Amino acid sequence: MKNATSLAILSLRHLSIGMWIMVVLFLISGMVLLSSNQRPSENLQMWVFSPEHQAMYAPMIENLQLNSERNDRDIDLSLLSIAAIKSKMMSGFFGGLPTADLIEVERATVGQIFMGPSEAIGFHDLTDRLHEEGLYDQINAPSLSPWSVGGRTYGLPHDVHPVMLAYRADLTEAAGIDLTQATTWDKFFELLRPMMDDNDSDGRPDHYPLSMWVTQLDNIELLMLQGGGQLFDKDGKPTLDTDQNAELLAEIVSWCAGANPVVTDINEFSAAGHQSRVDGDAIAYLCPDWMCSIWKMHVPGIAGKMKVMPLPAFTEGGRRTSVRGGTMLGIPKTTQAFEQSWETAVELYTSPEIARELYSMVDIISPIRSLWNDPVYAEPDPFFMDQKKGLMYIELAPQIPLRTSSPYNYNAVLEIRDASTNLLNWYNAQENADDAAMIEKTKDLLRRAQRSIERQMSRNAFTGIDP
Amino acid sequence: MSVARPSKISRSVTHLALFLLAVVVLLPYTWLLVASLKSREDFFSGLFFPPGEGFLGISWDSLTLENYSNLFDTRFGRAAINSVFYASTSAIFATIICAATGYVLAKSKFRGRTFITLVVLGSLIVPPTLLIAPSYELLYNLGLLDSVWGLLLPTFGPAFGVFLFRQAVQQSVPDELIEAARIDGCSEFGIFIIIVLPLIRPMVGAFLLITFLGMWNNFISPQIVLQTASKQPLSVAISQLRGVYRTDYGLLMAATVVSIAPVAVLFLVLQKQFISGLTSGAVKG
Amino acid sequence: MMFRRLRENQIVFTWAALTPFIVLFLVFMLYPLIQSAFLAVNQTYGPETRLYVGPKNFRLLIQDPVFWIAIKNTLLYTLGSLFIQLPLAFVLALVLNSRRLRGRSIYRLIFFSPQLMGLVFVSILGALAFEKRAGFVNRSLAWITNNPSLLEIDWLQTYIMPTLILISLWLYVGFNMIYFLAALQNVDDSLLEAAEIDGAGPFNRLRHVVIPSVRPVATFVVLLSMIGSLQLFELPYILLDGNGGPNNDGLTIVMYLYQNGFELGDLGYASAVGWVLALMLIGLALVQIRMVRKEEAMR
Repeated sequence: MKNATSLAILSLRHLSIGMWIMVVLFLISGMVLLSSNQRPSENLQMWVFSPEHQAMYAPMIENLQLNSERNDRDIDLSLLSIAAIKSKMMSGFFGGLPTADLIEVERATVGQIFMGPSEAIGFHDLTDRLHEEGLYDQINAPSLSPWSVGGRTYGLPHDVHPVMLAYRADLTEAAGIDLTQATTWDKFFELLRPMMDDNDSDGRPDHYPLSMWVTQLDNIELLMLQGGGQLFDKDGKPTLDTDQNAELLAEIVSWCAGANPVVTDINEFSAAGHQSRVDGDAIAYLCPDWMCSIWKMHVPGIAGKMKVMPLPAFTEGGRRTSVRGGTMLGIPKTTQAFEQSWETAVELYTSPEIARELYSMVDIISPIRSLWNDPVYAEPDPFFMDQKKGLMYIELAPQIPLRTSSPYNYNAVLEIRDASTNLLNWYNAQENADDAAMIEKTKDLLRRAQRSIERQMSRNAFTGIDP
Repeated sequence: MSVARPSKISRSVTHLALFLLAVVVLLPYTWLLVASLKSREDFFSGLFFPPGEGFLGISWDSLTLENYSNLFDTRFGRAAINSVFYASTSAIFATIICAATGYVLAKSKFRGRTFITLVVLGSLIVPPTLLIAPSYELLYNLGLLDSVWGLLLPTFGPAFGVFLFRQAVQQSVPDELIEAARIDGCSEFGIFIIIVLPLIRPMVGAFLLITFLGMWNNFISPQIVLQTASKQPLSVAISQLRGVYRTDYGLLMAATVVSIAPVAVLFLVLQKQFISGLTSGAVKG
Repeated sequence: MMFRRLRENQIVFTWAALTPFIVLFLVFMLYPLIQSAFLAVNQTYGPETRLYVGPKNFRLLIQDPVFWIAIKNTLLYTLGSLFIQLPLAFVLALVLNSRRLRGRSIYRLIFFSPQLMGLVFVSILGALAFEKRAGFVNRSLAWITNNPSLLEIDWLQTYIMPTLILISLWLYVGFNMIYFLAALQNVDDSLLEAAEIDGAGPFNRLRHVVIPSVRPVATFVVLLSMIGSLQLFELPYILLDGNGGPNNDGLTIVMYLYQNGFELGDLGYASAVGWVLALMLIGLALVQIRMVRKEEAMR
């Protein structure tokens, strides 16, 4: 045996240099990992995906009174990307692994939670607690809908996210146009028609009236919702192919269609898109409350040049707002400290300080109606030419359209995006398609989308919905 | 050896073509590297560099390492060490296990050898994708989800490694040498270490690098298996970075540089062995 | 006596060497493989919730146009990589094989280098490079042609498949070139010289001497690229933010599998997808082996 050892030592010289490198890497990294091996924390874990929320909650959490009788723990706040929260949360729910005690979930992610049988939903049902503590009536009613299934609510709503029209008031005023008269989309495009002239003769209009495109699925959904389009009914059955949806979609797509579209595709978040905003490539934008803060951060070049107004309606007297995005705070069933988590959640989401900060930091209005009297919302905003935009958003908040919590909503919106892209391509390939033909084509495409969603849903034996 | 005897003109055309191609291949790296040194303000204002000019048009003073220091304020340093650990562990164990198995299958005579060899060869056609879902379930049942071992253990015995080493041993280890050593009283283990391993050294080097790269670049397994942030390797960390810091291009660029630089260095050290090992299985096989 | 001890030692060593592999193989290969057959006839929501559905998964799969789109895309990508990448790799290998070429080892290294970057990292780089307006590709194109409208090319939305093929060309051409370079070592110099003396031009020498000697490796490389291409996942997954892009133009089979198994939690359906993919791979491999056999028989 000692022979073998000495042989082994001798033979090490014959080993590949690669093996040596690997062994060294293995030892070093292993030692670093061992020495910094963190035991799983005993603290209450909270996951958020927004850096702003992290910054806001941190001081608040620090000042929370810990109830020592109940064995309250300190709270760890971690910032994760939406994709990371999605994959960690779902693999936790699937694998029965502990996730966190409090998780902020974005609307596009929430569907998957409701995909299985209702007893497998990974979050606590908060409905009874919301009623018991009288919170239910304080919350802006439409803001609960995306987080509720069959009348049960699985998370506290973080926001309302009403949508207004934000526009380059400096340009419209210079052109002598009073955009506030645009009560409908038709009037809106009519009013801005003169600004589409090509005075710098670069082959494209100097200013497009609106920034929007058929590939921007959030904006398509937003406009559909504004016009009263419904992709699912109350019971979660898909209703993509209604006549109302077809007429709406045809109108929206017609804005992009033809040789001279009245809308343009400007990336909403990239630096190039921000440059376009400064250049005034588009006059108006579909602007949910949270978008204001994105602009303040990344597009200082338009500060003091913008104004907001209620969205033009699809028909005279129609709804003048919509809704885009949204977040809830849920408590996973695996939590060891439900009471503390619940109290923390309520504290964070109903606190006047947080609401105030939410608005002054990221321009988001609270869903708690009793907080809407706060003077912070009445402050003039210099970015928007000293408009009191907080009050304007709040006025629209109760009117935002109801949204579905169907786990298939995201798939349905993807289908709608594809239908609109196809419709646009079809239209542009036609010599001159009239409105009737376009609506027929839209119905046709929506029927296809409906069948696709029905097929996807029929695969799921768990949710108990028979499309 | 060469197919055509090139004339002078055709030779300079070839050189020009190769040079242009090399520039095209290298441009993305250069862009990546320079962009990772730009501050957030400059990222789009400064000309990215078009071939020929541009590069000198950039003001050198505004280049900064701030993206790199910002990067390590995030969890990225930990992810880098995780990646090194996972990749090296996987490389070492897989190489040892596959080399031993391949050697035995090539040289030992025992009952069941043909059967095992056939099963190994047969399993080569099973696409890894087929095993993703059932493996997840298996790890769940074994309680190995979110565990480092759940990620590593399945990578320790790849069938194609056994196949490669069996090939290598058959080609470069003569039976006589083993017999001679045995008669000289060398133990079986000794024979493996002293005689076999040095003879298949190119394959050892190549396979180490193959498994190291494979684990380093693996995305789907850690994405599925690991849950805790502090366990994640670079590949997962960087994809999540893209989510949170979507607009922070410089940070993403720096992260990409950090993710590929170690592999590049390793490759430069091992490239000779790597290329000869990589091809030996195919060429003579 | 001594021989018997020797023989015993051998057997002990043999099984000691085999055991770790066999255990790993049984646990992490064979068991999941068998399990995947059982899973394929169930609907699940994560590993805990399971419902027997019989062959319904396969029926739904065949009926789902999205799955066919995924298959179409994946095949398109595979063909694209085979017919663009491999010829180019072969030509590069031929050129770089010439001993008289100066700097050939540097070129080799350069062309091979992208292979070192993992698909995830390439995808991140690709997403930044192919961005509309701001991306490096469009800005280069616009600069070279002096045509600002090229900035508007929306690679990731409109031309996702060509983009994927282009990125994978950059990534893999050098890798395949290495294989062909190695294969060219097998070309018999004396045969080449004999052919030259017989007055065969470069093209004929290529066709009658070089290509036949390279054929075995070419078969191997084709098979390898095919297997890799059919399992494409990371590139479109990251470039398209986890969904298939407009009209699912960038959806691949493995992405479809991942979405169903790990986002929707249906491991059963995902296993069914895995089986279809496995059968496709095995089918293609068999066809290829057949073709090679036939060619050999004809010669």
